[in-house]
Amino acid sequence: MNTLLICRDCDTVHRAAPLQRGDVALCRRCGAVLARYFGATAESGLALITAAAIFFAIANLTPVLSIELAGIETQANVWYAVRSLAHGWISVAAFGLAFTTFLVPGAQIALLFWVLAFACAHRRAPGFAPIMRLMHHLRPWSMSEVFLLGALVAIIKLANWVPISAGAGVWAIAALTLVLAVLGRCDPATWWSLASRARA
Amino acid sequence: MTALRQSFELGLVLCRTCGLALPRTSLQGDPRCRRCRSPIEHRASFSMEMTLAWLIAGMLLYIPANVLPVMHTNGLLGEEDSTILGGILEFWRAGDWDIALLIFTASVAVPFTKFIAIALLLVTVRWHSRWQQHQRTTLYRIVEFIGYWSMLDVIVVAITSALMQFSALGTAEPRAGIAFFCAVVVATMASAMSFDPRLIWDRHT
Repeated sequence: MNTLLICRDCDTVHRAAPLQRGDVALCRRCGAVLARYFGATAESGLALITAAAIFFAIANLTPVLSIELAGIETQANVWYAVRSLAHGWISVAAFGLAFTTFLVPGAQIALLFWVLAFACAHRRAPGFAPIMRLMHHLRPWSMSEVFLLGALVAIIKLANWVPISAGAGVWAIAALTLVLAVLGRCDPATWWSLASRARA
Repeated sequence: MTALRQSFELGLVLCRTCGLALPRTSLQGDPRCRRCRSPIEHRASFSMEMTLAWLIAGMLLYIPANVLPVMHTNGLLGEEDSTILGGILEFWRAGDWDIALLIFTASVAVPFTKFIAIALLLVTVRWHSRWQQHQRTTLYRIVEFIGYWSMLDVIVVAITSALMQFSALGTAEPRAGIAFFCAVVVATMASAMSFDPRLIWDRHT
């Protein structure tokens, strides 16, 4: 049976064609991306997500930026930034920041690790469908790359006044952003077939 | 080339969560995707109403976000409350035009582009317009893509305050404007997400 692809943006029905490396299937009517070649298997996906988990841990455990003034060093990373916004009712912004730069990326990594680890063992992860749905809804709220840009702006902004240096965390966030971007290229349908691989 | 057909013309429907093409008959009695169990609708229900509601919320919140100060600094140069626009001007005057441009893009240009683009999409869909359907769909995708970059200023203020908490040079503290700005980002993202771009292509003959 031919697999049918329906465009998310204009509802046009297409017959799926096999994709080669580098191929992107575009909607003939509106130009939306219908499918993208994604070479990863459950195993290589698991390897990528493990790398993402390590970068995520480094980014949260080491300083992203630090300044030194009169011998006193002050550091900042996602957590310091969140805490500094926790002032009375402005804390809603602290919550927004924690959600988008820590909770969502962390949950994405943990959930994807969970389903892919089971896929590697040719089993369907417990809670598979709700997890896949949750990941779909979390995706737009993941803002690691915005935090990276924010950190770079802060470096340039403060460099005029104080000696500021980038810590290991900046590189970890940059690497995390890259890995999440690679994984983000995979379309939902491919995730489903990749992650639901069960023993035949 | 075969004619381009929409899903309902072929008795199909798309699950927007997992991307599966389903026969419409499979929804009888249980209107959920058979693969991921998400509820399935022909078009997102109350899409226009939700999009408009979030858009208005975003526009209203944008006023205090710009009028109220986002940061309070206390340093060698004295105490100062700065707004988003004030901060951009300061960078510009100090010669950091690149940073000024970046923050201007993320905090002013992006939200305004979103307000105008979403309003345009709502009005044209309401009129059942068949004008520039392809370009309007591209516009929708741009709005979806640029949405979250507006969070930039919230992050810059947070990092600055974190670094300048007890420094000898002075202190920086967040102020109410930043919470409103964060709410603007959430509201405009929710507005774009509520919009169902398939409405652009629906024919009303």
